[in-house]
Amino acid sequence: MSCTGPGPEEAGGGTAPAPTFADLLEDSPEDLYDNAPCGYLSTLMDGTIVKLNDTLLGWLGLERKAIVGQLRFTDLLPVGGRLYHETHFAPLLRMQGEISGVALELKRADGARLPVLVSGVVKYGSTGTPLLTRITVFDATDRRAYETELLRSRKAAEESARQARADRARLQQALAVLQQSLLPSTLPEIPGMEAAGYYHTASPDRLGGDFYDVFPLDDRRFAFFLGDVCGKGPEAAAVTSLTRYTLRAAALHDPDPVAALTTLNQVLHERYSGVDPRFCTAIFGVLEPSPDTGHVTVLLASGGHPPALVLRAAGTADFLHTPGGLLVGALPDPRFSAATTTLAPGDTLLLYTDGVIEARTGPDRSSLFGDEALRAFTAEHAGSARTVIAALSGLLSGLGDGLDDDTALLALGVPTPASTSASTSAPTPKNTP
Amino acid sequence: MSPLKITAEDGATGPVLRIAGDLDHDTAPELRGLLPTIVLRPGQSLVLDLAAMPFCDSSGVSALIAAHNHALAAGAGIALVAVPANTLRILRIVGLDQVFAIHPDLATATRAG
Repeated sequence: MSCTGPGPEEAGGGTAPAPTFADLLEDSPEDLYDNAPCGYLSTLMDGTIVKLNDTLLGWLGLERKAIVGQLRFTDLLPVGGRLYHETHFAPLLRMQGEISGVALELKRADGARLPVLVSGVVKYGSTGTPLLTRITVFDATDRRAYETELLRSRKAAEESARQARADRARLQQALAVLQQSLLPSTLPEIPGMEAAGYYHTASPDRLGGDFYDVFPLDDRRFAFFLGDVCGKGPEAAAVTSLTRYTLRAAALHDPDPVAALTTLNQVLHERYSGVDPRFCTAIFGVLEPSPDTGHVTVLLASGGHPPALVLRAAGTADFLHTPGGLLVGALPDPRFSAATTTLAPGDTLLLYTDGVIEARTGPDRSSLFGDEALRAFTAEHAGSARTVIAALSGLLSGLGDGLDDDTALLALGVPTPASTSASTSAPTPKNTP
Repeated sequence: MSPLKITAEDGATGPVLRIAGDLDHDTAPELRGLLPTIVLRPGQSLVLDLAAMPFCDSSGVSALIAAHNHALAAGAGIALVAVPANTLRILRIVGLDQVFAIHPDLATATRAG
């Protein structure tokens, strides 16, 4: 980026002794200086312009006599450029003796600005004192346009990236709201009972096909359900949402578990009959606490769902079988099977989706966890609703990629009077003073 | 994971579909798409031979229900043949073992029709 013409003050210097072909074409150093494709100017060390070429004069649109001896180089610059000249250009030039490729703007007579690239070299006398500065000026209009275009494209790219980030944030917010419509953010306080839930979704958009809920029916009874919608992703999530609100509304109308599942079946079958059947498996139940005994009667019905587990205070676990119940929504006239049990203090009812019994375990992730393994594991960790959910969630998170399906767990337990004290409910006994 | 191949033939009691390969989220639409082309007369039975189906997930179950609905709409019955143990376990859990006629082999199924 430097102009290799002859020095301005030497422009009238000696001629070549033996003309070559190039000399024949460029036979006049004055012409070469004045009409070079770049601007030349020379200044004294105080910046006063002593010489400049026609090219630069033409760019500036000024008379030579208005410049030479009258103006300093900085007078050609707008305010911003003048500042930059004083703080960078001039000090660097003094220090290094040269500077190259500095982007500046020149003021033209008509008020327009000319983007330029400026290089300078200090010429020293024989004693090493700086005598003058030689400056070349290149028209950088095209380059500036190119840079502006680059800048514009970068801004456009940044803008679309910002837009994409904003869109993603909005989408995530929408998904979070939808997710809330699929699962309760917290379980309600059930007098005399303890409820705990766990949810894992394998879907990257976090819209799962498993669901559960617990809600009051009246001032005494609570209803609960847990289920699994066939399929994955947004389509399954839409069915999940429909299922959840249908069951909630149906239960308020008629809390009988078989009646609630029958209503859900009618709704799903009507909505999704045809070539794309959608269905779910679910257990729906009602909790009826008895204030006198502290026991809770559970009446539930299953539509094609794996049987609930009942964990007893004594450390046993048994399936509460509901054989023959058909999945919900697939067929016009299904049968659902009901079952009942009573939970005494220390007992817990556990509902789960098949993600847990189909979790892959073992070193090669090839064997299924299985319902018998689940029963045995929960028997070991019976105690309270929170204890068994904590133990199972620990087990499931330990499986990592072995858990390739959505999984939901819901535990409803009757606490023992002693389990409210930290020393007995904690997994490891604590020293209490 | 084995790719799905469905072959159709006429049996004594109606069409027989041999389903070879996994019936899952990716392949179930093939079976579902094939159903409208299967012509059934009232009183016939649509037989699905599952002897060579190692895996069936909930999407596969959904396709089996679609086959059931197709047969029902035509006034025909539906039967499953040689259901592998893992699939039979799923069908029992979701109650579909009461909805489909289930036979150990093709000869029994086509005689029963």
